[in-house]
Amino acid sequence: MNRVLSISLWVGATLLLAAAVHAATLYALPNIVMRTAIARIGAPNTIHHVKRADATSRGVVRPSPDLLYSICPFDLSDGPLRVSAPVPADTYWSVSAFDGQTNNFFVKNDKQISGKTDFILAGPGTDMKTLPANVVHVQSPTMSGLVLFRTLIFSERDFARIDTQRRQATCAPMRARPPEPNNGG
Amino acid sequence: MRTSVKILTVLVVGSALGLGATYVTAVHASLPGGVCDGVWHTNLSIGSSSGSPYTRARVALHGLLALNRSETMYYTATTDAAGDPLDGACTYKLKGRILDARWWSITAYGADDYLIPGTDGHYSFSLNDVRNNAGTNYTVKISAKESGRYWIAVKPGRFSLTLRLYNPDAPVVADPAHADLPSLTKESCA
Repeated sequence: MNRVLSISLWVGATLLLAAAVHAATLYALPNIVMRTAIARIGAPNTIHHVKRADATSRGVVRPSPDLLYSICPFDLSDGPLRVSAPVPADTYWSVSAFDGQTNNFFVKNDKQISGKTDFILAGPGTDMKTLPANVVHVQSPTMSGLVLFRTLIFSERDFARIDTQRRQATCAPMRARPPEPNNGG
Repeated sequence: MRTSVKILTVLVVGSALGLGATYVTAVHASLPGGVCDGVWHTNLSIGSSSGSPYTRARVALHGLLALNRSETMYYTATTDAAGDPLDGACTYKLKGRILDARWWSITAYGADDYLIPGTDGHYSFSLNDVRNNAGTNYTVKISAKESGRYWIAVKPGRFSLTLRLYNPDAPVVADPAHADLPSLTKESCA
């Protein structure tokens, strides 16, 4: 009887540990995937214009060869970012933002905004009232994540023009105005 | 058995089982079925932060940076109409009509979820290819051998297809199982 009880206890402990390891890795996976993707893209808080996807592309799984991706991995721990880009008039275009758990928390497309997108991206805990009121505010649920611009290559003939325009997107830290130079007075 | 050996066994076997379970249910698993339209499968929770931890882990791994349904709908096919896994050693016929979305494309991916090397840029078929032609129907060959004008190139070995609908029409968003997506049949195998 003692032996049966002892075996049950050890087997139970093994299964408990298995369940705990399974749950922990399952919940951690999105975060690990996001960190890996961000690390592959490059430096945070600046925009990276990814070359058109082909068979050598390894940044993100299942890339679309018909879209141009521009990506800004962000780290908002030093303050908000200002994100802006021209919105093309004649093709599908979208700007989306994903948090550190891979969740999509913001998306707009070219049917919803025209001309230009311009917004401030702030981290959790930011007092949004302190930000300039004349610009759209977007709050990320996590400090790190990424902003992704998609531009459709609707015709091969127009590729150069589409590519040039999407490269005008910017993403940079919002800084206080630098102090006036001190000229000895 | 000494207690230390037993504890070590519990640690090793327990961790291995836990990691194995994660591998089988999230890493190795494809996206959960959710909704099907013919050979095409989609998951309605893609692009949202809802869904079970399993769905979220699978979407993170296999559909990272996907958008919500009204923005883009993603369907995947891993088998043909007969239910056989897609193999680049075979030739397939993809037959359909212009889809109900602002823009759409169908792209082939290798077993590693990346575009297939050595296919000379013939990765996908899209509205761009049919827009300038008369009629609304098309037949696309999917094979390792070059085959005509409408051709998606693959290589021998497992592959899968992703069908993307950008800004799909409202009826498709409401009823993703009846989007009238193209049929996919096997013609022959090398």
